[in-house]
Amino acid sequence: MYYKNIKLNLFILPLCLLLIGCGQDKSFESNHQNNYEKEDGGRLINAMTGEPSNLIAMIAGDSASSAIANNIFNSLLKYDESLNYAPEIAESWDISNNQKTITFKIREGLYWADGEKLTSKDVMFSWKLVTDPNTRTPYASDYQLVKKASTPDLYTFIVTYEESYAPALDTWTSLHILPEHLLKNEDVNSTYFSRKPVGSNYYKLDNWKSGQQVSLTRNSFSINGKANINNLVSRIIPDTSSQFLELTADNIDLMNINPIQYQRVFPSRKDLQDKIGLYKELGNGYTYLGFNLKKEPFNDKRVRKALNFAIDKNEIIKGVLLGLGEPLSSPYKPGTRWNNTKLKPYPYDSNRALALLNEAGYKKNNNGLLEKDGKVLRFEILTNQNKQREMTAVIVQRRLKEIGVDVSIRVIEWASFINQFIKTGDFDVVVLGWSLSLDPDQFNIWHSTQQGPGQFNFLGYENKRVDTLLEKGRLELDISKREKIYHEFSDILLDDSPIVYLYAGYGLSAINKRVRGIKRPSPPAGIYHNSYDWFIPKTLRRNEISDI
Amino acid sequence: MKKFISNSLALAGLIIITTVLLAAVLAPIISPYDPNFIDIESILIAPSYNHIMGTDGLGRDVFSRMLYGAQISLLVGFVAVGISTGIGIMLGSIAGFYRGWVDSLIMRAVDVMLSIPSFFLILAVIAFLTPSIWNIMIVIGLTSWMGVTRLVRAEFLSLRGREFVMASEAMGSSDIKIILLHLLPNSMTPIIVSSVLGIASAVLVESGLSFLGLGVQAPTASWGNILTDGKEYIQFAWWLSLFPGLAILLTVLGYNLLGEGLRDILDPKNK
Repeated sequence: MYYKNIKLNLFILPLCLLLIGCGQDKSFESNHQNNYEKEDGGRLINAMTGEPSNLIAMIAGDSASSAIANNIFNSLLKYDESLNYAPEIAESWDISNNQKTITFKIREGLYWADGEKLTSKDVMFSWKLVTDPNTRTPYASDYQLVKKASTPDLYTFIVTYEESYAPALDTWTSLHILPEHLLKNEDVNSTYFSRKPVGSNYYKLDNWKSGQQVSLTRNSFSINGKANINNLVSRIIPDTSSQFLELTADNIDLMNINPIQYQRVFPSRKDLQDKIGLYKELGNGYTYLGFNLKKEPFNDKRVRKALNFAIDKNEIIKGVLLGLGEPLSSPYKPGTRWNNTKLKPYPYDSNRALALLNEAGYKKNNNGLLEKDGKVLRFEILTNQNKQREMTAVIVQRRLKEIGVDVSIRVIEWASFINQFIKTGDFDVVVLGWSLSLDPDQFNIWHSTQQGPGQFNFLGYENKRVDTLLEKGRLELDISKREKIYHEFSDILLDDSPIVYLYAGYGLSAINKRVRGIKRPSPPAGIYHNSYDWFIPKTLRRNEISDI
Repeated sequence: MKKFISNSLALAGLIIITTVLLAAVLAPIISPYDPNFIDIESILIAPSYNHIMGTDGLGRDVFSRMLYGAQISLLVGFVAVGISTGIGIMLGSIAGFYRGWVDSLIMRAVDVMLSIPSFFLILAVIAFLTPSIWNIMIVIGLTSWMGVTRLVRAEFLSLRGREFVMASEAMGSSDIKIILLHLLPNSMTPIIVSSVLGIASAVLVESGLSFLGLGVQAPTASWGNILTDGKEYIQFAWWLSLFPGLAILLTVLGYNLLGEGLRDILDPKNK
């Protein structure tokens, strides 16, 4: 269930490196960035809600783990500030004319944090590991498409695909390269390496106190050079209200905040505005209401469209997000090329909703409820314990009641939500979120073959044209042709209405002003993109005597 | 009755409970708004003339929700205690009257149940069932009968050897008749007291469950889930935490005062 590039969005990733920025914040903030020269050292403390399970990201799959592991490990490629591919372990890459073979040239003179050489052997080892059936990873499928991989010398890595695969380069930005010399005789599922990793990125693990904090320190062998800040400490604070208290008490430097804190708490607290900067950028996920398409009455497109018309998205954005969100009309982030700007969200129109339901055979009965063949239009909205989703469900329930649909709400803990309801298909309607990767491929979510237990098309969506488009989109490397494909896909999806797009929320970050070098406005890759370049001037540092 | 009025604590308890009862019963008449009416235009308004306890994160009137929440809290209290007292009386009577291996069996069952922290037991059971108000009442009832069982058994053991019981036995009365007509009426005092105290703890458990999101489901209001909703806004919307918190505190206090007062009044040893 926890896919790397397409994740059921349980909570907003604590330090999501993929957050894409565009929104610029005008309030409470003067330009404080340029008053200090860059300085070396210091300690940055952040908070995470959960303890990382395992620092080998391909095994872990949870956001806390990948946030930490991203500071320790590198991939072949990375995204630059403007979301173009950039070299990391690979210094260059070359795509063959038939678009099936990619040749990566590995940089020479790279070392692991323990001083061993990093070569194409490690890359080969990592690819073998992720595709090994004995490795318990949800990320294998992308890499299994590689038909043949080879390493002609220590600095060349060649992969050949069965047929051209458009998201290929994207997949090589997220496979962490692991050291062969430390892992070749280990069982990767249970190795001690997962708590004592050796990587190649800016930081290495300093210490890890279970249930308390994970502390990183600079890696002198870093292949990307030296970060400014000496220590990164991630404290484990499960409750976000407590995190916020720690932020205001100066015990942590940054966290993701919620709309209430952003819109209500900060404006009323001058003391907080003085010491904490706020950042707002549109996230790369969205929240939706999804129908179980295998069930009556949701197999009727008219019913789905009617319910779409009957839900007021702007009201939800205003009530739940206090205005800090955008309505959507396609499953892509507004402002990116994949988003089809010709499409408009379903407006709130209860008359059209009623007309469509009448057309589908529903008539009001004596109790004012809609009824067809003696059966009342009645269903249950299922969601997990997430305040925003719960409030969303309550607002939806109220609107649907107005047109005579009887809706009940059930809120369930995440693990049983997934195992008992999603995997078994035992639900009517869900309120959930998707967070998406930068590649537009959504084969896993919408293709009719992806409906097995544990797969992502759990709504049971089937559309022949969409299947064809998704298959074509994966093969097409020409970006403008690809754009056309996904625009048409979005168009069909909006008309079919298997889900009601509710909102895309803004990612809201609060960062103590002692941290300098943060880019504002944030680049397309998000404010955390240049975090290695952030610094904390000596005069602004905490007294660092305690061993927290 | 005179003694009741002279016991000021019991009286205070009674007044609190009566007020809450009235609020719950009259909720549909006195609540100024529909408790589930969402008004996006008036989110998180501080207590004022229009909304005497303010509004919550969806613009719903907190006062109206508190009134309807009182219904839930009281219902849970009475039904759960009804169930637990019923079970307790039945098992306690059997154990105390028949003694022997039946007694041992029931008492060991009591020991087993008492050795499990009941709140966690309830959490575990609720996680398997659909969290609904009826399930919660039943589960609370089924996990809190041990105290009553012990009380009833102890009373029965001491009454069992008394002359009026022996006389009744000698006259050939059936077991059921002895239990219902002679033993139970003479054991009522501790049962009443423990039931009143039991309601207080049932109200607390329900609030706790709702606070953890396992209680009454949205959008139905209960004091516990108003309190949870308030947790997120506690930094500036104090009214969302204060009023439900205060209501739970006062109600529990009321039942405790009433229970303790009743014990003082009804206990013949206190004469």
